[in-house]
Amino acid sequence: MELLANFALGLETAVTPTNLFFCFAGVFLGTFVGVIPGVGPLAAISMLFPITFYLEPTAALIMLAGIYYGTTYGGSTASILLNIPGATSSAVTCLDGYPMAKQGRAGVALFMTTIASFVGGSFGIIILSLFSPLIAEYALTFGPAEYFSLMVLGLIAASTIANASPSKGLAMVVFGMLIATVGTDSQSGVGRFTFGSMSLLEGFGISAMAMGLFGVGEILSSVGATRDAKIDSSSAKLLNMLPTKDDWRRSWAPGLRGSSIGSFIGALPGTGPSIAVFMAYAVEKRISKTPERFGTGAIEGLVAPETANNAADQTAFIPTLTLGIPGSATMALMLGALMIHGIQPGPTLIVEQPSLFWGLIMSFWIGNLLLLVLNLPLIGLWVRLLLIPYHYLYPAILVFLCIGAYSVRANPADVLIVLGFGFVGYAMRLADLPAAPLLLGFVLGPLVEMQFRRSMVLARGDVIDVISRPIAGTVLAISLAILVWTLVGAIVRYCHGRKDLNEPSTGK
Amino acid sequence: MRTIFGATLAATLSATVAFAQDSFPSGPVTIIVPYGTGGSTDTTARPLAIELEEIWGQPVIIENKPGAGSMIGTTEMTQAEPDGHTLLINTAAISTAPAIQSDLQYDPETDVTPISLLITSPYVLVGGAKVESTDFAGFIEEAQERPMFMATAGPGSSGHFMSELVIEAADLPADVIHFSGGGESMTNLMGGHADTYISTTASVMPYVNDGRAKALAVLAPERFELLPDVPSSGEAGVTGVDINGWVAVFGPGGMDPALVEQINDDFATAMASERMTEQLEQNFAVAGDLSPAEFREIYLRDLNTWEDLAATRGIGQ
Repeated sequence: MELLANFALGLETAVTPTNLFFCFAGVFLGTFVGVIPGVGPLAAISMLFPITFYLEPTAALIMLAGIYYGTTYGGSTASILLNIPGATSSAVTCLDGYPMAKQGRAGVALFMTTIASFVGGSFGIIILSLFSPLIAEYALTFGPAEYFSLMVLGLIAASTIANASPSKGLAMVVFGMLIATVGTDSQSGVGRFTFGSMSLLEGFGISAMAMGLFGVGEILSSVGATRDAKIDSSSAKLLNMLPTKDDWRRSWAPGLRGSSIGSFIGALPGTGPSIAVFMAYAVEKRISKTPERFGTGAIEGLVAPETANNAADQTAFIPTLTLGIPGSATMALMLGALMIHGIQPGPTLIVEQPSLFWGLIMSFWIGNLLLLVLNLPLIGLWVRLLLIPYHYLYPAILVFLCIGAYSVRANPADVLIVLGFGFVGYAMRLADLPAAPLLLGFVLGPLVEMQFRRSMVLARGDVIDVISRPIAGTVLAISLAILVWTLVGAIVRYCHGRKDLNEPSTGK
Repeated sequence: MRTIFGATLAATLSATVAFAQDSFPSGPVTIIVPYGTGGSTDTTARPLAIELEEIWGQPVIIENKPGAGSMIGTTEMTQAEPDGHTLLINTAAISTAPAIQSDLQYDPETDVTPISLLITSPYVLVGGAKVESTDFAGFIEEAQERPMFMATAGPGSSGHFMSELVIEAADLPADVIHFSGGGESMTNLMGGHADTYISTTASVMPYVNDGRAKALAVLAPERFELLPDVPSSGEAGVTGVDINGWVAVFGPGGMDPALVEQINDDFATAMASERMTEQLEQNFAVAGDLSPAEFREIYLRDLNTWEDLAATRGIGQ
């Protein structure tokens, strides 16, 4: 019953006209920031951060948080319609979202991502409100060895997400890991492959890399190409937007799995939504009876990552609010917004500032509802966006990509990096190499290395000590099992293939 | 006649003083913060900018230029005109980073004018879940039986250098382990994966007050006036670790000494405001009360200390 009282208290705080207004302003802005490729939540929140000095802390946080999770709603729009992710965490949505749009099902895809976002977000909020302190405590048991094993699992499970041949996919994962070695070495502080450049000491930024690879790459490859699928505006009509019974039937289980994976990964301070989407997508593809449909417009491949990134967005608040430890740069900003008002997030926040904590959580509910109401009617508008000739649309997007890259840390070098990765992305398209595994390697590679080296320091160089830790050992064993299963499966398939080829000849 | 002469002289003098005050700032002042928006340095700089706007009657713009352990923003400041219209607010990282970065693009002695020490507080050594002792002397003993892991916010951070200094000064059996930022270090302390973390009062006291970490010692000869319950490293008989953490204002090299004095005064006025004193209190820190020359001495001393330590402990090699 205490929970109900807390909900009531939160609702009381969240529905005051001021807080409602800032909630709406946040999610509205977030949706647009999400739709525009390049400009991410970090840039938007940084720009608006100074006004939090003049706002009450609850209102400020409600607005900044609204921008944050609103972006994830909007982020999938450009992924689906243009094959350009609006935010880094929606890069995986391109894989099946864009093929759906090409088949004239853009309306359905956008409708389903909005519903999936709402489901994922709600799932995350439930976890956040029921189990926050518990999860925060549990997350503390994750040391470097545990993170290392989890990242290995992610790498092995997700390396086959692309539809290209496994060898191409694996090559791209490794290529991504190699690109990620540029920057300051995590344990010695020495610059690796920086060639004396200060800007490279931080390595290539993930958003600059994703925007270049997917965004600029797509734009470059469209030069001279004829537009293959004319999207007719009829797909924006309500009737054509509604998913079929089959779509619903296929979606509910991936939605639940995506929400769970997203909630778990999001709550760990050392990970983030980008990892959650890859894992959610990989799990769906692995357990699907028809994995060959993935990458050609499978609705499961759309719903799972979309629920995962929205759930992760919400549970990312768990370590921030209950431990005072931000899991990402965006969360560090949220923490900053509280600190300037003298509020120190930590285990006592829920007790000392109940109206802030519960008000924030209830505002998440309201914000997600607002986003649902806001996004469904907008679908028609977004689909019509495709009617704009590409020679007007693409230059505009290119400008946004450059602004977005620059705004993250006001460094002109980042604009060059975006354009550079654009050419890499274009070359990869010409060679028919998949970009998603490269991004995966880039995200997970440095984490695997960094956490492994930390766990080796903590084990004083004894590998056995690392793998004999209960959580780490179990996860590593699962990783090994998946690896063996994949290899055996491939060998069996290979032998079967040979038998099939041989049989007709022996039958003669 | 004499009175007229005296009056004229007084008028001229006061006019000159007024002129000196009018000439700066003649336009908007940019303060570079070499860290991201919302970080602790940023949240000190922003309210300070509001106070300075009132004093100067000119817009004060905060520009966040994060990256390379504060060196991207610092380098940019050194390349600006030394007219006081481009300033930098940085932490002690400006004294540690040059010791570890081989690609530094400015001379830390001649290209930087130390202007004003804004905030200072001692470093605090905190212990995590696995540490049993409650003070520094006990901790040193405990480490003889179980060698410790000292977490840092990253190689080259001030906490890293302080940890190396403590290892050397107390002959502590310990290994340094680097995390990505103070937050990650604290999670690993709370989870018992690493043992200690060293940072300024503002960063660690919230965790100590929550009971999530133990303050083993302030690294100073005497106890710190704002934390009378925390033992000092001096009490445990450890010397040579008494370096303080700080947040300070810098300008490009070769600034006019009179201008430096004036900016130092204006920052002191801003720091004395209600807004800033409140913030200091929350952070368990005190306002620095030094002339530019005195602060320059501290800046140069710290630069040398870290450079020597980097050489003896093999940091960054």
